[in-house]
Parts: sequence; C-alpha cells; structure tokens
Amino acid sequence: MAFATIQPFQYVAIRLPSENIRVEQIVPNGQINLGKYGSFHTNQIIGRPYNLTFEILDRSEAQDGKELRIVSAAELHAVALVEQAETEDAPTPRTDLDDTGAQSTPKSNVNTHDDPTNQKLTMAEIEALKQDDLGSGKGLIEKIMQSHSTLDQKTAFSLAKYTLRKHKKYLKRFCILPLDVPTLVDWMMADREFSKIMEMRNEAVALVGCWANIHASDPVISLSEASQSSRYLVVDDTGGLIVASMAERMGILHQQHLEDGIAKIEEEDPDEQAEQPEVVPLHKDKRQQHRQSAMSAASNSITLVHTNQQPNLSLLRYFNFDPNNPTPSHPLYTNLRSLSWLQLLEPESDLTYQEPEVIAPEELANAKSNRRSAYYRKRRRWERVKTVVDETRAGDFNGLIVASYTDPVSILQHLVPLLAGGSQVVVYSPSVEPLVRLADLYSTARRTAFINAPAEEKRVPSEDFPVDPTLLLGASVQTARVRQWQVLPGRTHPLMTGRGGAEGYVFVGTRVLPAQGKVEARGRATRTKKTKALTDPDDEPSQLSFKKQKIATGEAVSAHTASTLPPSNEDLGVEPMIVEQNGES
Amino acid sequence: MVSSFLSRGCVAKEHDLASLHLRRDQSLPVVLSTEVTSADHEGYAEGVVTNTRFGSFPHSTMIGAAWGSQIRASKVDTGSRGRKEAMNAKAKAKKRKAEALEQSQSRSQSRSRTDTHAGDEDAVAAAAAEVEVEVASSGFVHILPPTPENWTISLPHRTQVVYTPDYSYILHRIRARPGSRLIEAGSGSGSFTHAAARAVFNAYSATSGVESVGKVFSFEFHAERHRRVKAEMVEHGLDTIVHTEHRDVYRDGFLVHEDEENRDRKTSPQANAIFLDLPAPWEAVPHLTREHQDGKPSALDPNSAVHLCTFSPCIEQAQKTVSSLRRHDWLEIEMVEMQQKRIEVRREYTGLSYDGMRGANAYAADVDEALVRLREVERRARDFHARTLSKRQQANGQRQQQQQQPDVGKLPFNGGKLVHRTEPELKTHTSYLVFAILPRAWTEEDEATARAKWSKHVKIAPSVPKSQRQMKKEAKLKSRGQPQVLNGRVDGEMGETTTEKTNAGTGESTPRAEAEAEAEPEAEAEAPGGLHV
Ligand SMILES: C[S@@+](CC[C@H](N)C(=O)[O-])C[C@H]1O[C@@H](n2cnc3c(N)ncnc32)[C@H](O)[C@@H]1O
Repeated sequence: MAFATIQPFQYVAIRLPSENIRVEQIVPNGQINLGKYGSFHTNQIIGRPYNLTFEILDRSEAQDGKELRIVSAAELHAVALVEQAETEDAPTPRTDLDDTGAQSTPKSNVNTHDDPTNQKLTMAEIEALKQDDLGSGKGLIEKIMQSHSTLDQKTAFSLAKYTLRKHKKYLKRFCILPLDVPTLVDWMMADREFSKIMEMRNEAVALVGCWANIHASDPVISLSEASQSSRYLVVDDTGGLIVASMAERMGILHQQHLEDGIAKIEEEDPDEQAEQPEVVPLHKDKRQQHRQSAMSAASNSITLVHTNQQPNLSLLRYFNFDPNNPTPSHPLYTNLRSLSWLQLLEPESDLTYQEPEVIAPEELANAKSNRRSAYYRKRRRWERVKTVVDETRAGDFNGLIVASYTDPVSILQHLVPLLAGGSQVVVYSPSVEPLVRLADLYSTARRTAFINAPAEEKRVPSEDFPVDPTLLLGASVQTARVRQWQVLPGRTHPLMTGRGGAEGYVFVGTRVLPAQGKVEARGRATRTKKTKALTDPDDEPSQLSFKKQKIATGEAVSAHTASTLPPSNEDLGVEPMIVEQNGES
Repeated sequence: MVSSFLSRGCVAKEHDLASLHLRRDQSLPVVLSTEVTSADHEGYAEGVVTNTRFGSFPHSTMIGAAWGSQIRASKVDTGSRGRKEAMNAKAKAKKRKAEALEQSQSRSQSRSRTDTHAGDEDAVAAAAAEVEVEVASSGFVHILPPTPENWTISLPHRTQVVYTPDYSYILHRIRARPGSRLIEAGSGSGSFTHAAARAVFNAYSATSGVESVGKVFSFEFHAERHRRVKAEMVEHGLDTIVHTEHRDVYRDGFLVHEDEENRDRKTSPQANAIFLDLPAPWEAVPHLTREHQDGKPSALDPNSAVHLCTFSPCIEQAQKTVSSLRRHDWLEIEMVEMQQKRIEVRREYTGLSYDGMRGANAYAADVDEALVRLREVERRARDFHARTLSKRQQANGQRQQQQQQPDVGKLPFNGGKLVHRTEPELKTHTSYLVFAILPRAWTEEDEATARAKWSKHVKIAPSVPKSQRQMKKEAKLKSRGQPQVLNGRVDGEMGETTTEKTNAGTGESTPRAEAEAEAEPEAEAEAPGGLHV
C-alpha cells in the first residue's frame, strides 16, 4: 500500500498540538521547523509508520541519533483512560491504570483540580521552564507533578490529566498523517482557503464519488472484453480535488512506485535502496524509461474538460503529479486526459489539433538533430491531442462529475450526450440555486412538455429547453453533513461550534436512452380513484416512497402523438399535481 | 465471471443483474435470463417475464438492449398459467384494460431498439426467446445497470441497512480503496457489502497482476442471512471479491477459512479497513489487535494502519465502543452523526389567474393583482344592487363557468416561481459513526533498522536520468568498500552513516559533504524548512 510507511518525497500532513495541520514534502536530509513546537530532521521520520505521534526530544535526551520519541497510545489517551477508569465499571486491561484506584471519587478530584493554589508553579515559572533545558512537555509535566502539594498515588493520573489538559500547548509533539484526499480536504477546510475547493467537504466528496459510481476496473478484463470500463468525464474548478478524489477511487492517485521501486530493487541489489525512490519524482525525462505515452490509457481513465488552455490541477502536486510537467511513472501520466472546450467542441479552431506538415523521410534524415526532434515532438503532440479529442467526441463515457463555477446547464448540454446509457451524472455546487435550476430543467413536467411539443419547438438548446430533458432520469438534489460529537465519560455531547459557510449540494441523474417512436406511460390516475387505490394490493408502498402512493393511484394512459419521444412513467398521475410532478423529477 | 456492477458491456446480457427503473425510488432488481427455472416464470410463451405495475417485460425484450434503454411493456400470453385465483383475475382485468386502450401497433415495433451499438442484433437474436413478442399499448421501464446505490434502495430487506449518505462517508473515511482488504460484520442485508466491494475492487483475481487484490470479508452469524448474502455474491458476480463467513465474531473473531478444501486452517484476512454494524462492537474490538495473547495470528494488515468504523444507533453503544477502542490502543477516535436531506424542487404557482387549479395558491400574486380583484368585486357588488333577481341568477351561472374554466388549463412547466425545500420524509438519525485508527506496530528493532537506513545524511539520486543498470553498477561500486550487514540485509547507506557520524548531534542538516567524493553527479535536496505550500 502507498501509505505503509512515510516515503521520501511524499507530501504528508503534520498535525500540531494546536490541532492545526501543516502540509510538507518529506525531502530526505531536510529539517522541518514547527515554530514554537520545535523542529526535526526528516530522516527521523522517513521509513516510519504513519499515524504515530512523535515527541521531539531535548538535546540531553537524544542519543544514538535518535531525536524523536514515539508517544504510546496509552500516553495519548491518559486523560480519557483515567476518566474511564473512574466512571466505568469495566476494568481496564492496563494494570498501571487499575492501580491508580478506580475508587477515587469525583469529589476528591474536584478538590484537587480546581483549586489553582494547589499548583505551585506560576505561569512565569512555567515560562522559565520552557526556556530551560528540560523544555520538552514531558519534563514540564514532571516538574509540575513533583511540585504539586497534594500529589498522591490516588490522584496521580488525575493530575496527569490535569497537567496534560492545561499544558498540552507546550508539548513538542506532532503526528504524521498520510496526505490523501480526506486529509487534504480536512486541511483545506481548516487551515487553507476553503473556497479554492469550492468549500467541498468530505461528505460531499464521498457522496459525489458514490453517486457517480466511480470505481477501478480489472486491468485484464478491461483489455479483453468489449466492456466499457471506468472512463469518466469531469469538469473541475476545485484545483484538481475532484480529479484527485476520482483517481483515488480508481486506484490511480497514489504512486505505489515510490515504494515498489525500493522493494523490487531490494531483492536484486540492495545497494540502491536510498537512491531508487528519488529517481521517480525528480527527473523529468519521460520517453527513455516509459513506453507508454502521455494520456494514452483508454480505460480506467479520467477525461478532464477545461475552460482555459491549460487545466488548473495545482492540488495534484501534493500527490507528486504536476500536469504541466508530468512524471511518466505516475499513473495519472497515462490515465488523466485533458482537453479544452475549444478542442472538444470546435477542434478545427484549435491549432494543436491540426496535423503538422509531414516531412519526407529523406529530408528528415538530413535535417539537423534538433530540427528532427522538434518535428517528432510536434507530431507526437498532435497525435496525442487528436486521439484524446476524437475519442472524447466519440462519447460512451461511464460517468460525469461537474464541480464548476461555469453554468452547469451549459456544461450538461454538451457533455450529457457523450455518456453511455445508464451512466451517472453528478454535479456538485456549494450553493443550492444552480442545482435547483438544473433539476427544474430535467423535471418531469418539462420533459412531458418537450415530448409533446410540436417538432419545430423541439430544439435544444432553446429558451424552454436549454438541455434535452429526455436524456436524464430521476434528477434529484441532496445534501449531507456530519455533526461531530465529543465522547467522554459523562460529558458526551455534540461539538459546540462547527464550520458554517456553504452547505454543499449534489445533483444526481442517470443518463438514459429514450425509445424511438411512440411510447405511452402506464400509471395510476389521480383523484378519481383515490379511495379505491388504498385497498389495491398492487399498491404496496415501497420503503422510500410510501407517501407518494396516495397520489399514484388508479390507472391512466397519456396519449402522445406518434412522432413524439416518450414520457416517463412519472408523467402519469401528475397532470394536475404539480407537487408530485416536481417531487418526481 | 465478471459482475455487471463493475464491468459491463454496452448492452445488458443474459445472467446480468439489471435494475428496472419504475419510478423515482422504485426499481426492481432482476437477473436477466432466458431459461425458465422457477415456477414463478412458468407458463409464458415469451419465456421469462417480469411483471410490474407498468406492464410485463419478457426478458427477451431486454437482453441485448443497451443499458439505459427505455423498454416497452409487452403483451404476454398468460393463458396457460395456473396461478392463484386472485392473481389470475387481476391479470385478466389488467389485460382487458390494456386491450381496450390498445391502439394499432405494428409488430415490428417490438423489436425497435434505441441504441445503435454494433452487435446488439446478434445479442438479441441469440438471447431472445423464439416467440415474437407483441408490444403492449402502454407502459415501459428503463433498464439500468446495477449500482450499489440502486441495489440499496431495492434489495430484499432482511435487517436494517446502511444507506448511501452513511456508507459513502464511511468508506471514504476508512480509506476503502482499490486494493484494500475490508472486514465487515455483520453482513445483514448486504447493502454495505455491495458498496464496499465496489470501493476495494481492482481485479477479479490475482492473475490480473495487481499487487494487492481488493477484498471484502463479510461475517454474519445468522445462518439464513449468511446463506442469502453468499448466494447473492455469486449471483452478482462478486464472489471472488467478497468472501462471506458464517461466524459469531464476538466469540470467534475474524480469521477466515479462505481455503474451501482445508476447513481447519484459518488465515488472516490482513484487513486494513473495518466496518462493524453490530449490536455490541466492543465485543469484537478485542479480536482486532496487533497481537493476541493466545498466539493466534492478527486479523490485521501488518504493513499498514487500520481504519475502523462502527455504526450504532444508540449513544450508549457508541460510548462503550469508544472506551474499548481507547483501551485497545486505537487512535484518532472520533464520533459523528450523518445528517442527510433530500431537496424537493418544485414550481410554486401563486396568482388569482390560477384560481381553481390544483396545486396553485389562489392568492394575489402581488398587490396590484389584489387591487384589480378588489375593484372587480366592488364593481360587481354595485351591479348586483342595480340588477333584478333574474339577472342575478344569470350572473351566478357565469361565475360557475369561470371557476371551472381554469381546470382545463395546465400549470405551465415554465411558469410560477422555482422553489426548493427539504423533502417531507426526513431521516433525522441513522446511527452514530465511531471512527478510529490503529497504526501499524513498530518495534525497537524496526526503529533501529529505519534509523540505520535513514541516517543523518543520505545521498539523493541525480535528477539527470540514468538507466537502472547504470545506477546499480554505481551503487555496487560504492558499497564494495564498506559492506554492512543489518538484519540480514546489505545496506549501502551504512557507509554514509559512518562518514557522517562526526556531525551527529549538532542538530543541523549536514551540508553537502566533501567526503562524498563519488564521481557521479549529485543533487542535494535543500532542507525544506519553510516549504509550506
Ligand atoms: C444491522 S445488520 C447489518 C446491516 C448491513 N450493514 C447492511 O447494510 O445490510 C446487523 C447484522 O449483524 C449480525 N450480527 C449480530 N451479532 C453478530 C455477531 N456476533 N457475529 C456476526 N454477526 C452478527 C446480525 O445478524 C445482523 O444481520
């Protein structure tokens, strides 16, 4: 797995005692300065597991080149464990905790803790201690504990709890988290400009990925069978977060190579261990090592349509991928394809799509080498652009995700037709309004109107039909949000504050292929047969829409002229029921 | 066998699971088949037929259709069927109705297809029951490929299930990704199982050449539920991805019998993601440790951190779980609650012009309209006084006509005001989600090895491209002088360590040392100090 241990040149998230997160690239031989929490050498954490908490040792404590101490889980949980031991019947497996006396009454704790005079050290003294050689938090705690007048066995851990809570901010500790999409989102949300990723929370990232049905494909099956495998379209104004989250779900975001390289070489020749990993991210020359050319993957691929000449995917650099200077060993090198709206919609107007003049082989043979290589480079670029543009225009994609400031209506107008039947369309928006409009444009009422419109009015795009409403089924809008809780013995409650801002909404629809010719819906008529329907055994309510049943009753057929496209079943039983009409779409 | 959840062709094939979309939130999962295997399907001339409230659908009309196609209902011949009286009567009634409404339809239309994919015709020809199917006058479904999402809303419920807003977030947070090895308990109705299978999927078998084949290990102690889930996995082509196990996990933990031959041998699933949807997750936590006192192998992946989520409706359950996780060294313990809202989008029609239309608010659209109406009423009141009794009756008749008139009209799809609000059925609580992480074990020896390898100063490969062969050669040359054996491995960097020892303890990054007199070009990485990006 990509995150077995911390690899050189990986970007990592460093969580500080303040709970703030910093993102750093772990360059070997480097030093990372955490400000008031101290600094450490990168070589002290490379090759170590993720999710550990390290404490920076004082110079006096450091020995054998060991500058960091791994803080055990028990130590990290000391506060809560003591409280648990105090309040819960269940015995803790840790004897040291048991010994502290589960009998200690909360009352004695109150006395011990809340009387500030018990604490002999003044803040000034604490400051002085910090300057001291014993500047690490541990030393500090020890000092305070020693000087505590009422310190006894019974309250030893309670005291630890007290000091830990009070002086956590002095601890020179940090925790290294793997930088993956969930962590990147947390970081952007808490510590960065959240608007750069359109205020997209992890809830929305997760929802979008599932509803869009983004998943990996079997490398063998996708080659052999004529199956469509994991070809997705995307429009991404989140600086690459959407692309990254798709790639993560497809198994093409995290470079296994950083580590694989080492593992493989280890078997043949261990001497290269330290050298090998660096080769991957640093050097820029491509073709030499890699037969596959850029953007060449057809399946398990992401096709990005972008507004400017070049896509903005700056966040991908945290996954060691720079789209402007891509590393050939990165899976995205072959599996991320991009093209501009101009290339997609009007390739003739795009220069790179025009075939460069062909130079005769004899002439080329005599040409200067730099002219020759320039010629080949040009041809290769043209071939790449042409392949990507032609294959994209041919359509048959397996899904579309849009998170864009550009009007989603105009995006869907062009991209929905490129999807294979049965694939999912998902649009994220920080605010609900654009999605409300989208849902309205694919509403049952509008679809019915479109189907019944005379041929000359059935134009897309037109004022009433900016998109073809028959191409998406079951358009819906939703939002999801987690509420965080504090869980402590006797003090469990939702967190008091959270982050406001954009709620984040997700539009979902399914691309369908309307039957040609006349199709009549069958359904249940409204009003007239309402009472009868309640006893109709055929009307067993489904788990989710039981309330709809009262509307969908009886049978009805809506007539359409022979040349029209079909309405959906939802058209039925809705004629005068506007509430139902929209609720259905 | 491949799964239509994960790898599907352009068209629906026999044995594929398809999701027949009836209407919103209502879809019917069907395995497409030409062979009548169950008594339910006997007696149709058309072969296997799925009946819905929107008509009957012989599978022969769906096999070979492009995914996403709208499929017309067919008139099916139920004559020879000996079904229960009630059902029969109902079917007949329906049939009569259908016939009454029938309009002339050409037979050939039954074969019309919307898609143009090459090969469809073949598929149809091969798969179709050899009876020409007649299109019914009305009714249709859309044939959609199965997804965990549409399966979740249509699956046969055996227990409470986990829905999309929860499972999407859970899978995201427990880092279930292609290649992950995920433990799930209990299987329940298999809702989460399908989503988990999609998340970890990267190959159907190890022969695909992927490094770590993603797998789900799904445990269930209820025999019937276990049997059903196991059968479903086979039917859905997911059985190579999902391993099901009949087990009381509180008592017997999470080791698996992967080898069907050798039932006595239990192996470790080597899980790195865990989801516990059980009444007492804390009973299972002691089985999820790095080491076991009785010497049993750990069920966890020794090479990576393990991400866990438990799902409990009651706060007391969540608290107990959290306590036990703390006692068992789990870190990053967090609890959240998922709140989802579905938004209803509708048009709201307000105006006196909509008077009498269903679904509209017969209030003045604005003050002006109110004024117009009020003036009108005033005028009529004046008229009333001026008129005779007979005239009054006439007026009454007129008014009635007026009221009925709008009923004929339809609320315009593009009129009114576009509004949105939360849908009426709101799930306000599903469960408490407890998350935790268990880092991989790290012994003193591991640390010593790492420290030896990542000594004070390591050399960094040049940015000039080199062939692997070239690099290997250089590395060999370099280490020949000072081979060091560490944990049975030759580690070339040890040589570096010795040369750098002089700098140890200074706490500074060693500058490019002259001592590194190797002939090859070297790129020294700068200490990134403020490389904060
Ligand atoms: C709520 S259901 C799980 C639903 C499932 N997550 C889904 O989405 O369909 C809980 C299941 O756990 C099973 N279960 C309870 N205790 C168990 C145990 N000790 N070992 C294995 N399974 C258990 C129950 O039989 C039940 O089927």
